[in-house]
Amino acid sequence: MVKVTIDGRELEFPEGTSLFDACREARGEALPHFCYHPDLSVAGVCRLCQVEVEGMPKLTIACNTGVREGMVVHTRNERVKTAARQILEMHLINHPVDCPICDQAGECGLQDQYMNHGLYESEVDKDDKVHKAKAEVIGPHVILDKERCVLCSRCVRFCDEVTGTGEMGIFNRGDRAEIGIAPGKELANNYSLNTVDICPVGALTSRDFRFKKRVWLLKSTASICPGCATGCNVRVDHEAGRIFRLKPRYNKEVNGRWMCDIGRMTYRGVHSEKRLDGPMLRGDGDLAPVSWSDLHTFLAERQVGLWISSPAQTLEEQALLAALGEQARTSGGVSTAGRGDGDDLLLHGDRTPNRTGLEWTDLQQHDPASLVALVRETSGAVVVHGGDPAETAPGFLAAVGGRALIFLGTHANATSKAATVVVPMSVWAEKDGLFVNKDGRVQAVRRAVARPEQAVEDWRFLVDLWSAAGCADAPAGLPALRRWLAERVPALNDLDLNALPAGGLAPATAPAGAGGDE
Amino acid sequence: MSHEQYKILSRRFGRADAHNLAAYEADGGYAALRKSFEMGREAVTEEVKNAGLRGRGGAGFPTGVKWGFVPKDAETVYFMVNADESEPGTFKDRYLIDYDPHLVLEGSIISSYAVRAELCVIYIRGEFGWLIDRMQAAVDEAYAKGYLGKDILGSGYALEVIVHKGAGAYICGEETGLINSVTGRKGQPSIKPPFPAVQGFLDKPTIVNNVESVAAVPHIVTNGAAVYREHGTEKSAGTKLFSVSGPVRNPGVHEIPLGLPFREFFHEWLGGMADGEELKAVIVGGSSVPILTADEAMNINLDYESCAEAGTMLGSGGMIIVPGRCDMVELIQVLMHFYWDESCGQCTPCREGTGWLHRLVRKLRRGEGTLADLDLIEKVCSGMAGLTICPLSDAAVMPMRSFLQKFRPEFEALVQVQDDTGSPSRWAREIRS
Repeated sequence: MVKVTIDGRELEFPEGTSLFDACREARGEALPHFCYHPDLSVAGVCRLCQVEVEGMPKLTIACNTGVREGMVVHTRNERVKTAARQILEMHLINHPVDCPICDQAGECGLQDQYMNHGLYESEVDKDDKVHKAKAEVIGPHVILDKERCVLCSRCVRFCDEVTGTGEMGIFNRGDRAEIGIAPGKELANNYSLNTVDICPVGALTSRDFRFKKRVWLLKSTASICPGCATGCNVRVDHEAGRIFRLKPRYNKEVNGRWMCDIGRMTYRGVHSEKRLDGPMLRGDGDLAPVSWSDLHTFLAERQVGLWISSPAQTLEEQALLAALGEQARTSGGVSTAGRGDGDDLLLHGDRTPNRTGLEWTDLQQHDPASLVALVRETSGAVVVHGGDPAETAPGFLAAVGGRALIFLGTHANATSKAATVVVPMSVWAEKDGLFVNKDGRVQAVRRAVARPEQAVEDWRFLVDLWSAAGCADAPAGLPALRRWLAERVPALNDLDLNALPAGGLAPATAPAGAGGDE
Repeated sequence: MSHEQYKILSRRFGRADAHNLAAYEADGGYAALRKSFEMGREAVTEEVKNAGLRGRGGAGFPTGVKWGFVPKDAETVYFMVNADESEPGTFKDRYLIDYDPHLVLEGSIISSYAVRAELCVIYIRGEFGWLIDRMQAAVDEAYAKGYLGKDILGSGYALEVIVHKGAGAYICGEETGLINSVTGRKGQPSIKPPFPAVQGFLDKPTIVNNVESVAAVPHIVTNGAAVYREHGTEKSAGTKLFSVSGPVRNPGVHEIPLGLPFREFFHEWLGGMADGEELKAVIVGGSSVPILTADEAMNINLDYESCAEAGTMLGSGGMIIVPGRCDMVELIQVLMHFYWDESCGQCTPCREGTGWLHRLVRKLRRGEGTLADLDLIEKVCSGMAGLTICPLSDAAVMPMRSFLQKFRPEFEALVQVQDDTGSPSRWAREIRS
């Protein structure tokens, strides 16, 4: 440990700690900065994090300085403040004042720093600014405004150091320097939107999110990406029942500060035109809307022979389905849809968020052929919760034959079209539940937006079915359901699932602390 | 007036055959290399330290001390000769390479040997096309005679030399910028630490020395530190090349003993001003150093300490003599254009500040400036000085500040007079002329 005095406070830090991090701890807030990023190499170019170290004639940048025993550091004196203000002014002299039409407004480093450290009158002639290209499409997801760029080089370092794809660079020099894409390339790697996240200004913006919503109107809900088995921690940004974007949420055990572009686009399914929006019953050949009471009457009259869950359902739902299967002395089963290509960063080949949950809830997993065989072995109605076995398991519908096919799902698909009964359910962003990622980490999705008016919350519907089937002590609310779940699943026996930390829990390992956002 | 006794680096200048290996050997060339191998690398380093040789590129850091920063356990070390001579007013290294490429090469080999380098890169600015050919010819001759390659002169020491052509960026004369350029990266300085002597080219210890610094090494090895110290002062030892431009009677490259009073240099070496010219100001060591008025210049000695006391720097020895007829605002505009053009752009204060200063001075010259702009220039300078990775930002600030401070009336004349027709510029210029 090394003793350092920062702004009069004596603190101890492990050797090798960066002075930037030490100052953050001592001050309770980060030093002004643009180029520093905890997951990227030090560039030392924005020059904003200058501090005064006693004994050194010049101010020094904290990001490239390590703590030393006996160091006496000043971060708030006049000299340091003046330097920060002057350097900030330099950042702004060629920056267009187009905040009213800039998508970054409201979450812009320049705006924030100006409010914190600037607040001076402009002394630059607005006709004297250096102009650069605006609104250049540089990839499927990202658009570049070179004029707004402060040349912090974070995006360049991200593409060099994290994805290793190296598409971006700084071209030309002096105040003509600009971010660009290497000739013949485009920013098409699956992590391109992280460059938008780490861009401190409005230079890199998301083509998907651009101009859709002012960021200060957005509300955020902490959740988990449903796109694959990695379970990246996300922030669901939404307003008035509509999701506008997903942003990665820091979890050093899972995704760090990144997430992939495929995952970010999963929110689109929430507001899809294919969403099922009311209960339906097959009458004379066609599916037709039906009242909830008629639907329940229909279900009560059916003897279910097989309950099929899916790796996209929450742990609670899977466990309830398994319990329903036991009650009816039938087998639980699951289809195996949802495989794709993975990479060695975050995207997993298993494109479902909760396959581990199936194992934990003792639901047998089947490949398409064995699922079809299972359907043939059973008699009575078949309940499908999530997934699309009619599409993924050839011969599935033939095996069901004339039996009732009860589909509890969210989107119209081959199974819903062939079903006898369709019950509209909630997607991951409309409900509370747990996912268990590929490494056995239990993480919570939370209700961010309201479900469609006619849809039901999955676990309540399943609990109702269970009660109707004669279970006297089916859990009545979410806390009770989770207590029941923790008792039922051996891996969860000692855990309080109602008090899950923000970073989730990996049973038998220490809970992950959720770190601060960059 | 003979100054022959001071000609150590420049003694072979002007001879038509000076660059040939045979002529160089006939003058005793490469004897210092043989002697170095006999002395051993520690003794060579010690001799250079004792000689008090200071880096001649501009910073004046002791050369032997710099060599000593290479970690003792380093397996691979690189040596680079900085011939990216681009500082406005400086043209001494080009004379050395032009007339005495073998002196530069011998010094490079000895220096490489001293720091245990296995590869030496001689980095020559791209504009010096003919010098690249000249240096390459010398390197080829040296390879043919066994001064380079494996087992040099039976010493067991092996060294390869590459003559590398720069691509024309001023900033590649900064040593980490030079290393990045050689590596194939964008020519811009790297953040320090790590310092190149610990982690430089290809992440290995790398020593970068100026051409004039390495050219002094053979003399130090041959004659010893004591003889080297016969010229110069205690802290500024030896001789130094000054490249002098401006309307003096004898412009060009002069080798002088450090510590020589400027007054003596001006009158006896340069021959004073040309007919009809009058001395107005002196830029002592390249365009980046603070300018001195004629009076100030007449009171300094040409050594590192005396220059520092006078608030300027000896720098590279690129001396610019400014005559009375010179418009100082025009001169600073040329310089501000230069630094704006050459800033690599990575550090914000330099990237934006050099452009801002350039635009402000241009505005003054157009007659559109105000007195507030003069204060703004000072403010912009304070936001640039000492806040960047490399000294280019300071290199722009030092002349700007000193010009404004010492020749402020010329700046004020551009803003004070405004006629009521709204076109101050032409009138202002007429008043001043």
